[in-house]
Amino acid sequence: MTQSLKLYVRTADQTRRAELDLDSASTGADIIQAAVDNWALPADTDYTLVNTTTGRALAPGDDLAKGVRPGDMLEVQPVLVAG
Amino acid sequence: MLDSRRAQRYRRHDLIDWFSQEQVSAARVAVIGAGAVGNEVVKNLALLGCGTIDVFDFDTVELHNLTRSILLRESDAGRNKAEAVAERARDIDPHVAVRAVPGDFWDTLSLGRLQQYDCAVAAVDNFEARLRLNQLCLIARVDMVNAGLDSRWAAVESFPFGASGATACYECTLPESAYARVAERYSCGGLRRRASLERRIPTTAVTASVAGALAASTALRLGGEAPSQAQRRLLDTIGGAGSAVAIGRRGGCPGCGTFERPPLVVRIRNRWTTLHGDAGSAGTAVGDQPLQLSDALITGYECAACGPLAEAMQYVNRRATTFDDAIATCPRCTAPAVRIEIRDTFTVAELVSRFGSGRVPAKFALAEINGGAVCFDLEETPGS
Repeated sequence: MTQSLKLYVRTADQTRRAELDLDSASTGADIIQAAVDNWALPADTDYTLVNTTTGRALAPGDDLAKGVRPGDMLEVQPVLVAG
Repeated sequence: MLDSRRAQRYRRHDLIDWFSQEQVSAARVAVIGAGAVGNEVVKNLALLGCGTIDVFDFDTVELHNLTRSILLRESDAGRNKAEAVAERARDIDPHVAVRAVPGDFWDTLSLGRLQQYDCAVAAVDNFEARLRLNQLCLIARVDMVNAGLDSRWAAVESFPFGASGATACYECTLPESAYARVAERYSCGGLRRRASLERRIPTTAVTASVAGALAASTALRLGGEAPSQAQRRLLDTIGGAGSAVAIGRRGGCPGCGTFERPPLVVRIRNRWTTLHGDAGSAGTAVGDQPLQLSDALITGYECAACGPLAEAMQYVNRRATTFDDAIATCPRCTAPAVRIEIRDTFTVAELVSRFGSGRVPAKFALAEINGGAVCFDLEETPGS
């Protein structure tokens, strides 16, 4: 059974931040896509999501119920590929 | 004990209570990629007195590399990067054994060789190479440190495969978009796409030095015990902010989810008429179960309009990644009508019938035997 989750999302540079009310069945990938769309993040970059409250990275396909609690701060981080 | 000249060189290190020069001098590190980050990693490892550093790269030095590559000079243009970097690193400290390994690491770094290192550093510039090194380190149970950067951020991830068979891997948090980028460069069968554009990601010497320093420190486990779980650190080289998070294992991960625990690695001669005997002696007899090869092979090549083609001999039983999608155009009728069959899973009987007593062009083969995963290392050591 899904429930509503109130949480916070920000970019890694902390220039963008939002308070969200989401269904716990939403996935990390959903949040990343919303961040890219709403904040016009560079589309040629790949992103991952970390829970800064728990200090754990979130698997992209996992739903939020797995690793997020109400009030947690999630951060959208770039996946860096250059070397 | 270090000799007196070496002891003098490292005297300042001895003042650091958490620093063990003996431990650092005994470390063996493979650095995959001799670009901006690879230069910084090798420089730091050499300055610290790391015992053995092997540098792998197929690429040659270009002038635009020089703004970010501390060990390269203008006179190196056109040289193999690994050779140029290794030469300069030997100048830094002649006591450090630095070897260059030119060529694609997929061809030059066998599982057996990888198992001789304490750590492999991924200083490469694309997802494919990271996915491949992740797979090798996971199977070989060798720690992997992954470094990446752009023009602002530096990221270093550590995957302590050597410490735990249950640690998360590079793919555990990799988004679907990364696989989509790999698919832009390769067809689903593994042929390279001619039309794909290589992404050029701008980086600076600043982000390269931050990523390289942190990667070298992580590879040598400076300042502490080996971590028991995978970690990612992300640093903002402009604002100075940073974060460190743990990476948990993902259920159904396409990388580590393949095995419940790392496979047993069995080295065999890559001669398929003898597989039963060699593998059997290791207690891992192979019957009719499928073997998944590390590399997809072209198994069929026929034009839908013209039928069988003599050119098939050039392609069949070779690695698909050797070729690009131009081979889908029929050399006889010039229509893009060639049906190319590509597979990575075979039975032993099929391999024997295809290759006879010849080598199979793959690094390794995975099989499920008696409920456990077994990896047959197919790469032969010189003289075998």
